[in-house]
Amino acid sequence: MNIMTLLMDILIFPGGLFAIALGLLLTGLDRKLYARLQRRVGPPIYQPCIDLIKLSQKETLIPRTANITAFRFAPLLGFAGMLAAIAIIPITGIYSGLYQSADLLVLLYLLSMPALSLVIGASASGSPYSSVGLSREITMVLAYEIPLLIVFLTVGMRVGMSTGATAVFSLSSIVNYQLQNGALLFDLVMLPAFFAFLCCIPGTIGVVPFDIPEAETEIAEGTLLEYSGVGLAMFKLTGGLKMLVLSALTVALFFPSGLGSFWLINLLWFIFKCIVICTVTITVVRATTARMRLDQAYKFYLLIPTAMALISLFLTLFSVRV
Amino acid sequence: MTELLQKIVKKSPWIYRINAGSCNGCDVEMATTALIPRYDVERLGCKYCGSPKHADIVLISGPVTAVVKDKVLRVYDEIPNPKVVVAVGICPISGGVFRDSYAVAGQLDSYIPVDVNVPGCPPRPQAIIDGIAMAIEIWKKKF
Repeated sequence: MNIMTLLMDILIFPGGLFAIALGLLLTGLDRKLYARLQRRVGPPIYQPCIDLIKLSQKETLIPRTANITAFRFAPLLGFAGMLAAIAIIPITGIYSGLYQSADLLVLLYLLSMPALSLVIGASASGSPYSSVGLSREITMVLAYEIPLLIVFLTVGMRVGMSTGATAVFSLSSIVNYQLQNGALLFDLVMLPAFFAFLCCIPGTIGVVPFDIPEAETEIAEGTLLEYSGVGLAMFKLTGGLKMLVLSALTVALFFPSGLGSFWLINLLWFIFKCIVICTVTITVVRATTARMRLDQAYKFYLLIPTAMALISLFLTLFSVRV
Repeated sequence: MTELLQKIVKKSPWIYRINAGSCNGCDVEMATTALIPRYDVERLGCKYCGSPKHADIVLISGPVTAVVKDKVLRVYDEIPNPKVVVAVGICPISGGVFRDSYAVAGQLDSYIPVDVNVPGCPPRPQAIIDGIAMAIEIWKKKF
């Protein structure tokens, strides 16, 4: 693998600059649409860029009880993880994934890095509010990772059993299978897994009704309490990148088909699909629900998305063709 | 360059409320009337934040009672520069109806530098938003 193409993939396209721009666009559109759903005007779409510029000009205050190295280092962990995660996901017609064997399992580990960086940052802050926030964050990660793992397993087995092997986790192979045999979204056996995956997205990103770790009104912003200035800007940026990674992953796993072969049309079609997924799973859910309690959210994730994903898994294991 | 920075940065002020012993009248105005979705200050980029470390504009209400004075000063120190202070209501300015009480420790002006005063008991929502707009103009010059 050429070092120049590696750097270009991670730092410029599709990671790095392109990912940051698209992540900020998704965040801005989310805020604008959320305002419109409440019958008000709302901030302009480029508002997250302005927020980041302002945050980078504020001073950074470190609490006396904080562990300075971990405090400064924590925001970078999640950011680096998300950049690598975007570079792995293939975009149909333009980009075929960083390595031909780019794995769904590696992506599973990378997806937990932002949560890990929040936990490290919160525990390095040395504040009681942060420790409440981080225990809630760990609980939420445990809750939503279970259906996420089962959905990944189901997709891998569905593609694998149709092509002769047992399970195929390489993202390029999954995308190629769908380009030849029709998207997994239209496969009725995979429909419960698709809904389970959509249920996991608000929990992963941390929007209402699952923004329990960052509950502003209860624990004074929880995990991000002691962060200011550039560290906070990094965390907000990582949040935007996480939205992009999850929507790109949904597109790659369930409906990756392109439109023709011109690269610009494929790119616009991909961006349009990401916007639709973010609107349905994040903005509309955010505008119509209230925050759940921790035990309610935990029970929800252990019951409904897990059950739906397990239905798909068992139907796949018995090679049911509908 | 600084002017360009100021023009960009003034579109994203984040707001934090401190209750310095207030009767909650001004707090109700701030939290539920002036800065809610109805008047939509979010189109100016304003957003309530839950932590003082994320804040740019501080809204302080209430006469500074003796019990709460240290805490207000500690929370004020937690807010990163550049910041701007808005005293909402007549109580931080002169004590309001509680002026000669034994529990009031003095004017807010004598403890922290106040940039904008919004008198009223409680001030109208439009007056509070006007005060915040003035505070944004003062704040952007501190960059």
